[in-house]
Amino acid sequence: MKEEVKVLLVDDEKLVLRSIEKSLLRAGFDVEAVNDVTAALALFEAAMASDAPFDIAVLDLNMPNFAGYVDPTAGLQLLSKLLEVQPGFPVVVLTAFDEVERAKDAVRRGARAYFVKGREADLIALVERILAD
Amino acid sequence: MDQTETKPKILYIDDAPSSRRLVERLLTAHYAFFEATDGLSGIDQAVAIRPDLILVDLNLPQFTGYEVAARVKGLLPSVPVVALTADMAEHVREHALASGCDGYIAKPINADTFEEQIAHFLGGRRETLEDESFRSAYQQTLVARMEEKVRELTRALKSNAELNEQRDHLLQETQRRARLLEATAQVGRSVTSILDADALLKETVNILCDVYGFYYAGIFLVDASGDWAVLRAGRGEAGAEMLAEGYKLKIGGQSMVGMAIAERRALFAPDVAEEPLHFKHPLLPLTRSEIVLPLLLGTGAQARVIGAVTVQSKEEATFTGEDMTTLQTMADQIAIAIDNARLLKDLEATHAELVRTKTFEAIATATGEAIHWVGNKAAPIPGSIARVREDLVKFLLMAGALLQEAPPELREHKFAQMLLAVEEMLEQDAGLEVTRLREELAQQPLRRLQRTLNLASVFEDLNIVEQSARSILNIKEDLIGPARQKHLEPVRLPELLQETVRSMAVPKEAVRFLLVEDVAPVLADPEQLAHVFINLIKNAMEAMHQVEDKKLFIWVRSADDPRFVVTDVTDNGSGIPPEIIDKIWVTFYTTKGDRGGTGLGLSACVKIINQLGGKITVESVVGEGTTFSVYLPVMKG
Repeated sequence: MKEEVKVLLVDDEKLVLRSIEKSLLRAGFDVEAVNDVTAALALFEAAMASDAPFDIAVLDLNMPNFAGYVDPTAGLQLLSKLLEVQPGFPVVVLTAFDEVERAKDAVRRGARAYFVKGREADLIALVERILAD
Repeated sequence: MDQTETKPKILYIDDAPSSRRLVERLLTAHYAFFEATDGLSGIDQAVAIRPDLILVDLNLPQFTGYEVAARVKGLLPSVPVVALTADMAEHVREHALASGCDGYIAKPINADTFEEQIAHFLGGRRETLEDESFRSAYQQTLVARMEEKVRELTRALKSNAELNEQRDHLLQETQRRARLLEATAQVGRSVTSILDADALLKETVNILCDVYGFYYAGIFLVDASGDWAVLRAGRGEAGAEMLAEGYKLKIGGQSMVGMAIAERRALFAPDVAEEPLHFKHPLLPLTRSEIVLPLLLGTGAQARVIGAVTVQSKEEATFTGEDMTTLQTMADQIAIAIDNARLLKDLEATHAELVRTKTFEAIATATGEAIHWVGNKAAPIPGSIARVREDLVKFLLMAGALLQEAPPELREHKFAQMLLAVEEMLEQDAGLEVTRLREELAQQPLRRLQRTLNLASVFEDLNIVEQSARSILNIKEDLIGPARQKHLEPVRLPELLQETVRSMAVPKEAVRFLLVEDVAPVLADPEQLAHVFINLIKNAMEAMHQVEDKKLFIWVRSADDPRFVVTDVTDNGSGIPPEIIDKIWVTFYTTKGDRGGTGLGLSACVKIINQLGGKITVESVVGEGTTFSVYLPVMKG
């Protein structure tokens, strides 16, 4: 196993993005944080083709989609594309407490787990557990 | 000089044209010939032309030749009157002379001697009556004739009066029927335009009484149970009182209404005193006749009875068979109209239910969206606070660790004493995970520590908390904005818009104004109105954030409806997809992103503009841009 775990973090909500990024950084992860799906996919494709691929991705669900409109399934669309590039790639989806159903749907579509935004320490623990498996 | 002036004038009175023509032919050469076809016009003519001789046929209709002679003798005593007759009865000549004739010529006329006979009479010849008894006999005849005429006249007068009466009656009847038909037509017209059942029924009883002049009219409808006919409209105070007491009649029971409904047929009581089913209501003391018509929907066996109309009159036997037909036609129209009104009511109830459901849905959606939005905004707060707390503890642990190794005199310093007290507190609070943090501090290399534990990071986290809190608090403005106290004043939109755009740091080159300067002012709170336009312009700028050549176009003008002024705010941004264009007005619809607001913006705008009596519309083409149009009523006066 290499020195630092590389995490792709995608959320269009600036403060959420930065807060989770900070929590991941403090837990010792190498984090790439982006706020839109198009940039995220480009970053992912580039990294997977390089010698520093991502180890896990943390994606929000409800954000502007590839066409630029706010879309509650934008995260699902990105999830599918990531899994197309790298089948079986571990992805955690972020969800608001009132959108758990959609997050469960994401898990059925291949996400490894969902995380209800809030206690970021729990997100770190979740990511560490997935990576340990 | 006219020959008629010089020739002697002869008037011939005869109803037989052939005789007149013959006499004319015989006399016209030497005489001025005048003729009349009956006794009365002959007398008139005689008085008018004063002839030199009058020839009269004795057997004239109505006014006989004898009577003409008698009358002419009275009026023109010197003019000779000669009877001319084919009457071969006995004593005709005597009778003629007795009546006043001066001579007698028998028909057929002898053409050879006629002119000579005339000349004799003109020359002064007068025949005399030898036997005077004929004169008294003639008087008897005249008296008898007069008596007969008087009788005739009396009969005529009587029958004339009867005719007049009959005519008046017919006229009245016609007028009454006209009024009834008018009432029917009016009910027909009114009932189709009144869709509120109660108003319809009220109007119907009023028309029946006002136009037709009935004493009382009332409408009963069958209630839900089907057992009772409940009074739903009644004329005047009596009606109002009965309505107030909830007057109802048992269907099939001992009442005309109950029976008419049960048997689905009209009932007529020409004299209510003799009608056992008629109930003499104390509020309607003057009723003498009553007609009750069932309100039927459809015809034949399938007809459904929904109620009945009662019409009451102060007179006995007012209603004719035709009235019954007319009234039943009216009742049929009323029945249909009532049914329509009921259907509409049902429809309205269904619609109201739908609106209620939709409103609940909208509220539920808005509430859900609001919770979601606040949840999202609040999401980073716990993480940031946890980090700040951890960082604070770490800094304190670092200070404490240093203090352990400080010289004893330094530990007496007041700051050192404070730090030691804090350290003690930290140790006691298990939730702070002091042991784990101390281990981290001890184990992590300096560079790693420097990267995560620094003042900039603490301030950033505090900043995250502050910004999150602020954006949550900011909703307040959008929520209460429309409800805030308003200071209405005349607002000139061109000025307001220029001012608003200037205050917004919108790139100058992106904005184009088309302002009709003399557009009418509107009455509004300028601050609220500015808030609306700020929202729309913000939205436009957000929609154009990816557009290189941004174009914001603001157009103020009179609307097609001159009572409104319209302001268009047009951008060439991304446009709004048709599937969400209806949702943009919903509070909290846009819940995410750096650019999306709370969504409260537009719903607040709509509320503000609606309160001012205006409206906002939107048109959008994806990839081309969006136009929001704000309609505001022109200030009155």
